[in-house]
Amino acid sequence: MAAAALREQLNALLSSMYASGLVDDQFQQLQMLQDDGGTPGFVAEVVTLFCDDADRIISELAALLEQPVVDFDKVDAYVHQLKGSSASVGAQKVKFTCMQFRELCQHKNRDGCIMALTLVRNEFYDLRNKFQTMLQVVPYVLKGPFDFQVFTGIVKMEHMLLKLKRIACPCFLLKFV
Amino acid sequence: MASKNQGPAAPRALVVEDIKVDLVVLLRMLRKLNCEATVAHNGKEAVDLFLEGKTFDIVFFDKDMPVMTGPEAVTKIRAMGASEVKMVGVSADFGGLDAFMQAGADVFVPKPMKLETLDAMLQEVIDKNMSG
Repeated sequence: MAAAALREQLNALLSSMYASGLVDDQFQQLQMLQDDGGTPGFVAEVVTLFCDDADRIISELAALLEQPVVDFDKVDAYVHQLKGSSASVGAQKVKFTCMQFRELCQHKNRDGCIMALTLVRNEFYDLRNKFQTMLQVVPYVLKGPFDFQVFTGIVKMEHMLLKLKRIACPCFLLKFV
Repeated sequence: MASKNQGPAAPRALVVEDIKVDLVVLLRMLRKLNCEATVAHNGKEAVDLFLEGKTFDIVFFDKDMPVMTGPEAVTKIRAMGASEVKMVGVSADFGGLDAFMQAGADVFVPKPMKLETLDAMLQEVIDKNMSG
């Protein structure tokens, strides 16, 4: 009973992450790279690496932007790095805010960069909280090996069906909603 | 799919990447396709491997790395006479296309690379090795 409730919550969490654009198809690619044995080790490893790296980069950026004379080349290099790693894990919103941040770097707009850093930080913290919840809950949700790919496939299908229901699509799939 | 390929036909890959997240993902993709890879953390380490006489069928270069960039490493390795090895430039920066192609890379792939794209490239290498 508790596992079913947890599963529902996890279901809703993953669904909202995709629906809100927090993660994109690249996150699903990571899940496809999971071991066939079903342990979430690979996704957890990558997500943890990303979060540690992003935390470090955001701290470095904050320090650079506090300098009396900002080294925009260094700022740009860090933002580029964060953009790359966020793209690799499917962290779509973080990636997009990094793209905007880079444009401001190129214009050497200090105030703009400070604002962009705040946006990047907020998006990252939001994502990190959801990743942490996901990784804590997953091992307790299902008995036996956990197939992440199947699970998120189910989540995406359910999300799609809900969308179809809202737009009253006369689709035979609606009977399953 | 190259994923079921084993034994002597498995390509020898070199991954040149300084960002750990990107490295772990690409290595996992290669392992999924039954391709073990050597790692270099910047362009200079990659050049050093070739200077030591190491050979590879395919090399994946990130663009911006400390010590030596991907395009710089491609230029140096080609200048050493390594004309047969397939060199792939990989970057989240679309400006990387020109930089890599001018340096002598065979192909540029934007990050993040898709598994299907990687599989197709490895299959090309396998086919070339089998016909050669």
